[in-house]
Amino acid sequence: MAEDLVLDTAIRDWVLIPLSVVMVLIGVLRYFVSKMMRSSQTPDAKIIKEGQVIIRARNLRAAANFIPLKSFRARRVYFSNEENGLLHVPKGQAPNPQAQMFSDPNMAMDMMKKNLSMIIPQTLTFAWVNFFFSGFVAAKIPFPLTQRFRSMLQNGIDLSTVDVSYVSSRSWYFLNLFGLRGLFSLILGEENATDDTQRMMQMSGFGFDPSKSLGAEKDGLDIVQHEWALPKFEQRAEAVLRKLVS
Amino acid sequence: MVSKTEEAEVNRLESQADNGGGGEWEYLSLVRKLKLRRPDKVLKHGLTILNDPKKRSSLGHDEWTLYEQVAIAAMDCHCLDVAQDCIKVLQKKFPESKRVGRLEAMLLEAKGSWAEAEKAYLSLLEDNPLDQVILKRRVALTKAQGDISGAIQRLSEYLEVFMADHEAWRELAEIYVSLQMYKQAAFCYEELILSQPMIPLYHLAYADVLYTLGGLENLQTAKKYYASTIDLTGGKNNRALFGVCLCTFAVAQLTKGRYKEDKESPELQSLAAAALEKDYKLRAPSKLSLLGSTLRSLKLSS
Repeated sequence: MAEDLVLDTAIRDWVLIPLSVVMVLIGVLRYFVSKMMRSSQTPDAKIIKEGQVIIRARNLRAAANFIPLKSFRARRVYFSNEENGLLHVPKGQAPNPQAQMFSDPNMAMDMMKKNLSMIIPQTLTFAWVNFFFSGFVAAKIPFPLTQRFRSMLQNGIDLSTVDVSYVSSRSWYFLNLFGLRGLFSLILGEENATDDTQRMMQMSGFGFDPSKSLGAEKDGLDIVQHEWALPKFEQRAEAVLRKLVS
Repeated sequence: MVSKTEEAEVNRLESQADNGGGGEWEYLSLVRKLKLRRPDKVLKHGLTILNDPKKRSSLGHDEWTLYEQVAIAAMDCHCLDVAQDCIKVLQKKFPESKRVGRLEAMLLEAKGSWAEAEKAYLSLLEDNPLDQVILKRRVALTKAQGDISGAIQRLSEYLEVFMADHEAWRELAEIYVSLQMYKQAAFCYEELILSQPMIPLYHLAYADVLYTLGGLENLQTAKKYYASTIDLTGGKNNRALFGVCLCTFAVAQLTKGRYKEDKESPELQSLAAAALEKDYKLRAPSKLSLLGSTLRSLKLSS
């Protein structure tokens, strides 16, 4: 049944807009709090070195054809040498990052602080929305949806005949949660702690990066076939000069 | 590397500011963004802004950045009292700042009190042993004292950790060239080419070093790199054109008698000579005869 529900404009005035405003304010508040709470991270020499090694190995792979064969070979040996090559990670060291993550008190505290600053406001706002704004239809989504979204979008509404396009305020909350990221980067500049979604994605790939990417770079480097591009340049130079002189 | 449009913009702003047309702040911001080193202009225009209280207050927070920029320019021009005043102002505003600490240490360096400057840098490094800027300033300090091998050592240590810093590689290459350690310089230039393969400057420098090293293989490689420079600059780089001619001549000298014709680009040298003549005709016709006799001695021109 696709009847058209008429939604009271009071809903718009008293639900949608206040909810958005509150979320923006909470985001700004979190940004300032996180700025104050952030401890200066002393960079770890090993991690920096590994990062730089990766950049250098990547450059080598990308531009290998621009340097003579001997130099390329020398560098490749330097990187992937079995004994003391820069990219060579001995087997025992691989599982370290995770253990390191939990044993290093500083890092653990840091992560906990970041997590807290993300989880608590989210939980509180969600509870507030549920308490005050449940049980009625808040908005209509302009495009049609399938029935499967019903459980997600129509949480407080227990009528199964209402069209799925009519959603509750909980879905408006989720929409704001993910959508205000762009707005925050406009107001607060590039680096803002409200990047929840990004952080959630980052969390999964935290400590594994160094050793895995080193191994990946080493494999990539081993595969590279050196084909010196310079002779081609000579011919191109000839062509260029010919055009210039004629 | 500064692009052409940016270069034109800087020159335009500079001439505008020089002739009293205003726009000093834009000029200074552009110089700061592009990291150019024009201490006399920066000092002159910076002081005009800073000494005028109205203009100074209109800057707001950028006032302190301007103080820093003027302090460094003053040290470059050896106006140490101006630098001292600027640093004092910054110290009052930011008492515990590392950036101001760095400026103080630079002032000690400019005054020539090497030991105190070294101590200051070391104390700054205690808080953050991996501060790139301070490490590089220590290298500069060692170089200024004349201890080139010490500078090489410090720079190599720096590059052990920060091996993707191409400016450091460039500095190391230039130091090696100044000491005539050409093999090591060639290594550094290779690093530079690897990180930024499309910049003709590095190809040219590498070719120069290879040519200086000598030996048949190096000369042939050098010729190839001069050719790549010609290609990357569209034939406009005279040094590369000369390089090609000289390399061909040197190779011919080395393989005198043995037939080792360069099958890949037989006409490169004559084309390079022709391009050189054309350019000289356009820009320095008085030297054309000199060029002609040089090329003739290299057996490249008729």
